[in-house]
Amino acid sequence: MIEFVLNNKNVQSNAKYNERLLDVLRDEFRLTGVKCGCKEGECGACSVILDGKLVNSCLVAMGRIEGRNVLTIEGYSETKKFEVLSEAYSAVGAVQCGFCTPGMILASECILASNPNPTENDIRVGISGNLCRCTGYNAIVEAVKIAAKEGKGLW
Amino acid sequence: MVNNYHPSSLKDALDILAKESVTPYAGGTDLMVEHNQDAKYMFLDRIPELGKIVKEDSKLRIGAGCTYTQVLESDAIPELLKKATIEVAAPAIRNMGTVGGNLCNGSPKADFGLVLFVADTTLRLASAKSERIVPISEFYIDRGKTVLKKDELMVEIIVNDINLANFYYMKVGERNALAISRVAFAAVCDIKHNKITKLRTAFGAIDRTIFQRNDIDAMLIDKTTEEAKELKADYLKAYDEAINPIRGRVSAEYRKDVCMNLLDDFLETNGI
Repeated sequence: MIEFVLNNKNVQSNAKYNERLLDVLRDEFRLTGVKCGCKEGECGACSVILDGKLVNSCLVAMGRIEGRNVLTIEGYSETKKFEVLSEAYSAVGAVQCGFCTPGMILASECILASNPNPTENDIRVGISGNLCRCTGYNAIVEAVKIAAKEGKGLW
Repeated sequence: MVNNYHPSSLKDALDILAKESVTPYAGGTDLMVEHNQDAKYMFLDRIPELGKIVKEDSKLRIGAGCTYTQVLESDAIPELLKKATIEVAAPAIRNMGTVGGNLCNGSPKADFGLVLFVADTTLRLASAKSERIVPISEFYIDRGKTVLKKDELMVEIIVNDINLANFYYMKVGERNALAISRVAFAAVCDIKHNKITKLRTAFGAIDRTIFQRNDIDAMLIDKTTEEAKELKADYLKAYDEAINPIRGRVSAEYRKDVCMNLLDDFLETNGI
């Protein structure tokens, strides 16, 4: 039995220690906002926040999260910060098909958490592991800038 | 059924490794790509000895379990090493991927491994019975193959030369993030009183292991800049004969041209 904190709740999983966190989040906990794009850390669609840091959940074995804190888009969407990011993404059309969006939002959160006033380059580096095939990235970069402004004091 | 281990000291980890057939799991960012359903992992993230970066006189000790994010955030890390770290994948991978895991994976394309070659690096490997220090140039045997034995763990990476201010580093990849090197080149050079006191070069991604030829670099060491200029043609010719890149997603000829151009540019940058 693996115990960890998932979206601010203590949970237990019967998964094997060598299973992917991604598969367990989707199949056992039905958190399907965690998307499976490539299973090799190339696309960032499965991004979650582990102890405050962005990680690719496809590259994390369950044994590694025992006692740790996992935040997915489902947990994050209950926060005020999410609201600010969500509005900013909508305002500039930073979402098209939406498949990369949960990962992008969590990457955006990590950018702002480490630096509330990021430069354009900071933002581009921060989302560099998250692929988006629709928007061409510029709208996403713009959205993070807007969120930094609108959410002043939140991060 | 015990199907994993999570030791909290190096001693415990080495004792487990002496008795059991387990796969050491550092950051997991390479291991999980393969994702073996039957893997029996020994997770290394709770071992304090593996997670420290310590500056000691003129040396730097990097715990093998340090993540690339730790390396980037540390004040003790020289700029050349940070430049190579930024080239490693993307933030989410750098948050998990470790220096030791990356080296033990044995890839000739490891961005960080390459710069360690020009920083006179040695590696501390330990087993339950003994430990040894191996120069990084002797660590790699072949692609995916290192001298690390089944019962050994890499404990720390010892950077013996941290005076790396005058460096040259270039990575040629297909895009800016998450790119696998097509060719990578790192070099350091010190010229004091018009004399070349230090010159080390290394190439990544062109052979089955990281490519370094100290014997050729030695041609220019202890020479004045003028002498080095005269020897330059011979030096470049020696490299031209020595470098036989393997064909990958790019042709061997392309790789060779890039290597020679980088080498030439490095020398010119230093007035040679």
